[in-house]
Amino acid sequence: MIKVNKLFKQFGSQVVLNEISFEIKPGELLVILGESGSGKSVLLQHLIGLIKPDHGVVEIEGRDITKLRESDLLRVRRDMGYLFQDGALYDFMTVYENAAFPLREHTRLKRKDIKTKVLDILKMVDLKGAEGKFPSQLSGGMRKRAALARAVIMDSKILFCDEPTSGLDPIKSRNIMDLINTIVRKLKCTTVIASHDIINSLRIADRLILIRQGQIVAAGTPAELRSSKDAYLQEFFN
Amino acid sequence: MSFIFNHFIKFIAGVGEALFFLLDVVKYIILGRIRWSEVLKQIFEQGIQSVVIICLTSMASGAVLALQSYVMLNRFGSKELVAQLVALSLVRELSPVFSSFVFTGKVGARITAELGTMKVNDQLTATRAMGVDPVEFLVVPRMVACFLVLPGLVVLSEVVGIWGGYMVGVYSAGISSSTYIHQTLSAVGMVDFFSGFTKTFLFALLISWVACYQGFKTSGGSLGVGQYTTKAVALSYILVVVSNVFVTKIILVFWG
Ligand SMILES: Nc1ncnc2c1ncn2[C@@H]1O[C@H](COP(=O)(O)OP(=O)(O)O)[C@@H](O)[C@H]1O
Ligand SMILES: [Mg+2]
Repeated sequence: MIKVNKLFKQFGSQVVLNEISFEIKPGELLVILGESGSGKSVLLQHLIGLIKPDHGVVEIEGRDITKLRESDLLRVRRDMGYLFQDGALYDFMTVYENAAFPLREHTRLKRKDIKTKVLDILKMVDLKGAEGKFPSQLSGGMRKRAALARAVIMDSKILFCDEPTSGLDPIKSRNIMDLINTIVRKLKCTTVIASHDIINSLRIADRLILIRQGQIVAAGTPAELRSSKDAYLQEFFN
Repeated sequence: MSFIFNHFIKFIAGVGEALFFLLDVVKYIILGRIRWSEVLKQIFEQGIQSVVIICLTSMASGAVLALQSYVMLNRFGSKELVAQLVALSLVRELSPVFSSFVFTGKVGARITAELGTMKVNDQLTATRAMGVDPVEFLVVPRMVACFLVLPGLVVLSEVVGIWGGYMVGVYSAGISSSTYIHQTLSAVGMVDFFSGFTKTFLFALLISWVACYQGFKTSGGSLGVGQYTTKAVALSYILVVVSNVFVTKIILVFWG
């Protein structure tokens, strides 16, 4: 259970999050919609404690993480996955090493078990055979899938994805969203995706929220959002 | 007036931030949380990267020192003193300072560019997101490696530099080989060696600190990586030359 309450953040004089409040139920797949620059990434990074709010609360499993020190946050984050917009893979590591990194850091698994697990996940994200490649040798879509593998390798119960479809063509966008959907349903992950890809989001989300100017302007299930009066949403449906 | 004041405040804040960064590094080192396999990798890379160019510059400096000092010393009929002058100059000043310059240009610049690229590509943030402190994972090994590599390179530079002087002294100035070696050995005392050698640890600290910190502060895409890298190199040069004046004074007070 993730609870966000009156989260407020400004950079200089620009208010990015204006007392935003919402909840995410366990196992739910929530999509945060918003135009580029609306603060989706900033919001997502608050949920994992990478940014501290000016005020407001982010409660994860009953614990307010905005009050934690970085050293405690590091521990909290081990149980969460985060898919960065451009993957943020280590460019000095191969795909295999990237995916294995969290396991090597935080578990005492044997080399052999790590190998089994990593190869499993890489197969799941359709990167079989690309283990030895470096991120610079991958296409954009492959990089995202490798990053997805790294984000879910710890079997975390919470996954955050920042713009998983950005920079991809329509077919690849569809594929990666479906892939995320499949994986998180299988792992029973609570998932928060930030996206401006409304069409794909509507297909996979349990619930969506639309943010603009630091506030939620529409929220609900895909069906509810389709009947929303919001002009930005209507533009997509008509 | 307020303009200057604002800049002054910014400067102080910047120094404070950099100090906290260093404190973080020191904390991990004291706690013994040093990733030695990473350190080894770094030592290898940093060493390989700078060893050839350090040898070249040192040999050239030693040779040039010998050529120039021979011109002067020969007028006083004491050309065998060339050996002493070359050795002392190298050991006390030139090798530590020149090696630090080369090290800054090769290793410091690479560290800033590497970490800066990782910063602008979210790799540093991703490290934190995976529950690992990027300071522990990326900075500590690099700084520890610098601390071990630079002093080694300086000693190498001294040896090669003296050899450069020897070549000129023996083959061009006609000083006998045994005289040259004897003069060198009798000139360089422990104090001379250590007064130069001690500095290299300070320089290693300054260079690696600046390089890592600027890398972590990088913003503004590939353009930013370039800017912060140049900034790190310039800042390292300044810190090395300026701090050299002060430590030299201190060392002279204690050791003569
Ligand atoms: N570290 C920061 N410093 C200053 N402004 C920032 C920072 N991070 C984000 N912003 C600003 O916050 C706004 C929202 O950014 P972001 O969350 O990245 O948008 P989105 O992900 O929805 O495209 C943007 O206007 C951006 O310029
Ligand atoms: Mg974004």
